[in-house]
Amino acid sequence: MAEYVGIDLGTTLSGLAYLKPDGNPEIVPNADGERLTPSVVFFESHEDVKLVGSAARDGGEPDRTIFQIKRYMDDPEHLVEIDGKKWTPAEISALILSKLKRECSKICGDITEVVITVPANFNELARKSTIAAAEMAGMKVKRLVNEPTAAAVYYAHSQGVKGRILVYDLGGGTLDTTILDVEGDNIRILTSEGARHLGGSNFDDILLEAYAEQYKKQTGATLYSDERHRRRVLHATEDAKKMLSKLQRVNDTVANDQNSGIARIDLTRDGFEKLIRHMLTRTVFLVEQALDSAKLKPADIDHVVLVGGSTRIPKVKTMLEKMFGKTPKSCGNVDECVALGAALFAKKSARIQEVCNASYGTLAMVYNAKTKEEKLMNSIVIPKNTPIPCSRTQVYQTSEDNERVIEVDITQGEDEDAKFVDVIGRITLDVPANRPKGCEVAVTFSYDENQRVRALVVDKQSGRSKEVAVTYKGAGVLSDEELKRRSHHLRAMRIE
Amino acid sequence: MFKILKNFSKSLGGGKSAEAKPAAAKAGSLLDKVNKGAPVSAKAEPPKSPEELCGITPKMAKDEIKMQLKLLFRRYNRSASSLDAKLRGEADQMLDAIVQLREKHFGEI
Repeated sequence: MAEYVGIDLGTTLSGLAYLKPDGNPEIVPNADGERLTPSVVFFESHEDVKLVGSAARDGGEPDRTIFQIKRYMDDPEHLVEIDGKKWTPAEISALILSKLKRECSKICGDITEVVITVPANFNELARKSTIAAAEMAGMKVKRLVNEPTAAAVYYAHSQGVKGRILVYDLGGGTLDTTILDVEGDNIRILTSEGARHLGGSNFDDILLEAYAEQYKKQTGATLYSDERHRRRVLHATEDAKKMLSKLQRVNDTVANDQNSGIARIDLTRDGFEKLIRHMLTRTVFLVEQALDSAKLKPADIDHVVLVGGSTRIPKVKTMLEKMFGKTPKSCGNVDECVALGAALFAKKSARIQEVCNASYGTLAMVYNAKTKEEKLMNSIVIPKNTPIPCSRTQVYQTSEDNERVIEVDITQGEDEDAKFVDVIGRITLDVPANRPKGCEVAVTFSYDENQRVRALVVDKQSGRSKEVAVTYKGAGVLSDEELKRRSHHLRAMRIE
Repeated sequence: MFKILKNFSKSLGGGKSAEAKPAAAKAGSLLDKVNKGAPVSAKAEPPKSPEELCGITPKMAKDEIKMQLKLLFRRYNRSASSLDAKLRGEADQMLDAIVQLREKHFGEI
């Protein structure tokens, strides 16, 4: 049995690694001989089989091929309909994980428990969906770990470095930045920040637009009119993007499927970098945000580490070099280090001090004595980036006479403005009648090593209390029964 | 500062809810009610400039602009992964405006 297994369930590529007896992690190839499996699923119409990986990506009908499902893990309304059946993002992800489990276990032994990596800014629903996907695929999730944290664990292990490290992880779909302190085997995370929908596939889309514009200019026609052809051109733009990381100039030719002629596309690295500049500026904002969160300046960082396929873009390196005054280092194979780090994390988690991924609090009317104004605000009890395990209490007062029920909305988010946070639960506590306003209510949040959050509400006068696990149970989350049913169904499927 | 935990469902006419009930949708309506004073325009408003969207005025010093853009980036980057689809849509537009203003006031990367 493989005891320590890590999985990087990526937007474009997924990988599984295990820890060898010598303590070093290794990527386990799939049955197609690939170290990384494209995160693509094809629903075959003639045979009862789901193809996952390269075969799914390179052939098949676009209407039955699912790309980048990870981008929708946080969307409760996103469903994929195939042959009348609606699939949730968790179920599609479960198919990818099933392939990894079934095929990799033939090499490294049975896989029952895993560490799975997630983007730092994955919300509650996306994290729950990831766990559900693994369970449907027949694996128990030992821990979820942020992708840049996993990469940093691998970097620290393989390079033997110490000091303060900033990880810049620009993958297919998301950007994550983590700052951490490394001292021997001990790792202390200082902050993790993430940005949604900011990665290589956004750059591909931008290039696709440029191709379509050029085609229109040269031939007067539309480059693609259906999804199948759009996919083909997108594939070409992805290749061109990769070439531009090595060459200054790339020439390409494209045609539509209506015989409207061929257009010559002349791309320069400089031109491409201009096209994606606004996206890269967003990444600079996020790096600055991470530095601000950790109360650090660029000069306080000892190592800048690059992770994720999109960090091969030369501009990324020069931009960070300019910002930090030192050359960023690559984390070995930038596509594999997250999975490798996850396998290491499975064993070393006790020596890694993590932080809260989000702030937790409640909605409260806050009275400002200076302005005499009262305003609905998100009152944070545990701030993001507090080292875990931790527990914090905030005391509030009831605002009306004879309140019989105290209701505490549980919020997730850093903003003081209540409009900009998610309310992920509510605690209701019955209290005695005939009390004046101003009764004290203590709200305590606890965050354990497994990223589990609990909320405790105590009415101080009556001593009545209620404690709940803080967990998002809203739209998009499967019930335990439904999860069991779908797991059973999925295990009987042919997945290749 | 003095914090008061208000019984919102009572004051806003909501019923008693189950313990730790999923409240995302409910809370949305609560906030809607809290914000109901905001005027709703019948006519489509002209598109706002990045400065208007981000509250940047000509009199602001560079440091103030920088602080404001950082604050807004933090807010809307978080909103981009909100459970509220409307907020997610708004976030994209705001992030574009924030980047435009950064490039305008502090140069390109």
